[in-house]
Amino acid sequence: MLPRQRLLLKKVIAHSVLIASCALILIPFAMVVLASFRKGNFPPSTLWLNPDQWTLDHWKYVLGIPYRELLNAATGETKLVNPTVAPMRWFLNSLVVSSIASFGIILLSGTAAYAFARMKFRFRSQILTGLLVLQMFPQILTLTAYYRILNYIGEHIPWLGLNTYAGLILIYLSGISINIWMIKGYFDTISPSMEDSARIDGASRFQAFIRILLPMSAPIFAVVFILSFISMISEYPTASVVLQESANRTLAVGAYSLLDEHEKLWGHFSALAVLSGVPITIMFLLCQRFIIGGLTSGGAKE
Amino acid sequence: MNDGAVHITDLVKTYTDDRGRPTFTAVKKINLEINNGEFMVLVGPSGCGKTTTLRMVAGLEKITSGTISIGDRVVNDLEPKDRGIAMVFQNYALYPHMSIFNNMAFGLQLAKKKKDFIQETVSRTSKALGLDHMLERKPQALSGGQRQRVALGRAIVRNPQVFLFDEPLSNLDAKMRVQMRSEISRLHGQLGNTMIYVTHDQVEAMTMGDRICVMKDGLIMQVADPLTLYRQPENLFVAGFIGSPPMNLLKGKVEKGDGGLVFKETANENAVTIPLKGPVETIAAKVVGKSIVFGIRPEHLTEESKNGSTAPVSSTIDIAEPMGSESLVYMRAGTGNLIARIHGEALYHMGQPITVYVNLDKVALFDAETESVIR
Ligand SMILES: Nc1ncnc2c1ncn2[C@@H]1O[C@H](COP(=O)(O)OP(=O)(O)OP(=O)(O)O)[C@@H](O)[C@H]1O
Ligand SMILES: [Mg+2]
Repeated sequence: MLPRQRLLLKKVIAHSVLIASCALILIPFAMVVLASFRKGNFPPSTLWLNPDQWTLDHWKYVLGIPYRELLNAATGETKLVNPTVAPMRWFLNSLVVSSIASFGIILLSGTAAYAFARMKFRFRSQILTGLLVLQMFPQILTLTAYYRILNYIGEHIPWLGLNTYAGLILIYLSGISINIWMIKGYFDTISPSMEDSARIDGASRFQAFIRILLPMSAPIFAVVFILSFISMISEYPTASVVLQESANRTLAVGAYSLLDEHEKLWGHFSALAVLSGVPITIMFLLCQRFIIGGLTSGGAKE
Repeated sequence: MNDGAVHITDLVKTYTDDRGRPTFTAVKKINLEINNGEFMVLVGPSGCGKTTTLRMVAGLEKITSGTISIGDRVVNDLEPKDRGIAMVFQNYALYPHMSIFNNMAFGLQLAKKKKDFIQETVSRTSKALGLDHMLERKPQALSGGQRQRVALGRAIVRNPQVFLFDEPLSNLDAKMRVQMRSEISRLHGQLGNTMIYVTHDQVEAMTMGDRICVMKDGLIMQVADPLTLYRQPENLFVAGFIGSPPMNLLKGKVEKGDGGLVFKETANENAVTIPLKGPVETIAAKVVGKSIVFGIRPEHLTEESKNGSTAPVSSTIDIAEPMGSESLVYMRAGTGNLIARIHGEALYHMGQPITVYVNLDKVALFDAETESVIR
């Protein structure tokens, strides 16, 4: 083979692999997007969409806009559907719960990580190891316990019990051991002389934490925030147990409820699935600034 | 004015583990008086407790026992910011997310100083340090030397009574180090503040210090001005630590010979014998028969016999290192090498026999057991 041909072959192989892996990611996504625009509530089957199959009905349903549904293709009988506002409610529920819980997680794991990284106290290393061990059990295993606990709390503090967002957030806040480890690991890479220097400059311990350590750790906080946010937007088991009223549901639970045993509304489901990607994308773009900024600031020269 | 004097009395630092149990005593009851305006260097091998001591003065490390006072105040329980100190760290410890201006202004801002005052102070200081055109940059965009200057500037704007330096030059390359060395010395001359400077580099110690405090294993071995330290080491450690190449130290005994006292190395092979005359004989007379260490600096071994008290030593050459205007000649001896710093451009060869003359006025004798100098 000529060198040129060999090079060509290499290129072809390399590109095939690349295209194949892109397809692996993109095709399912494309199918869902198309399904959200396809008439009827069928499972996504083809990548092909005839022009006469186009519809915005699913999106109207999801966004709470009235539309006419075809009941009988032969007679052309239609029915005005005035969708409940539920999908948008679910969307907002998820947004609120995930944002608040993510901030809470940052607050709790950030301060806890600071203590583990910078302070001396009894059983410090044992507690750290304990956290790691706890982390190995999936949170779902303790679901029954959470249910009982929230039930009990609800009897005394109604706004923190079952069927409340606060209750769900409370449970989400309990799963932060891995975040503590991640943030502590990051703090460990920052020389304590930074805070020493700040303390000589007159900063209190708290000020040194807030004004020096925290901004220096922005990348890890951005990562923890976005990871928590994503995992909570798509979290199903806990949310489905804690929030039982339809309007209360989070996006993941609500979306899944569209795939009812008797009536699987694939079209609606697809539109909602695409919609759920929007807040994640926005959050990611917002956080990316800090992550990239943190990674490159060391090498940046003016 | 006595504001910048630092008194360290019976200072002890014992590190503890998470449970508060003592793990390691890094500083063992040291006493040190540092005068107002003095440039005091703490020097010693790695792990001897220099940084620990400095951090206790700064207030960054809790004192186990003893007192530290700055000026007339005992500062044991004062916050770092209230001690009138500023510190320059080995890794500069600049805040990477702040501009150079904010790095220098941070302390003043926390102290709620007026904006005009901060602006004025920072720009004056940065101008003096040649940093005025990079105030808007972030530390990452500066060279090592410039960063060190920012760290220096940040200390200066605090207008402290006492400057604390922890190996500030060890991250710089050799050339930059020499330059910054003189810059800090000049700064000391201009400001006249007390400065405590930690280093493990004895050249830095010798060139910069008004006085030098040599530490080892959490203890102070000797405190003196550079020349005294060089000429009259109090103990074997200081003798071996200060000077490059270090003082020749031969183990042996003082014996009575025919013509008076002689020092005889305790060794089976190549043992050298040095007749003792003059002042050193009086000292040696006190330790006849005891194990001692005979100390002489390389430059006090010369090729020609000078008038007065010199004594010949004969040996063979192990290694010779010609350095242009002088040569380092390593002669075989019983308990190690005997290095002579010989002036002139003559060439020496391995195995060549040589006789050098010991300047007996410069000899130091140490007790082999206590390691202290014998007077
Ligand atoms: N936080 C700590 N916990 C326990 N031991 C420590 C701690 N910090 C320092 N030490 C020990 O105390 C001793 C003195 O440390 P220090 O940092 O003062 O040494 P140093 O003289 O500054 O050395 P170097 O020249 O290497 O900087 C060392 O043996 C060190 O291992
Ligand atoms: Mg040190």
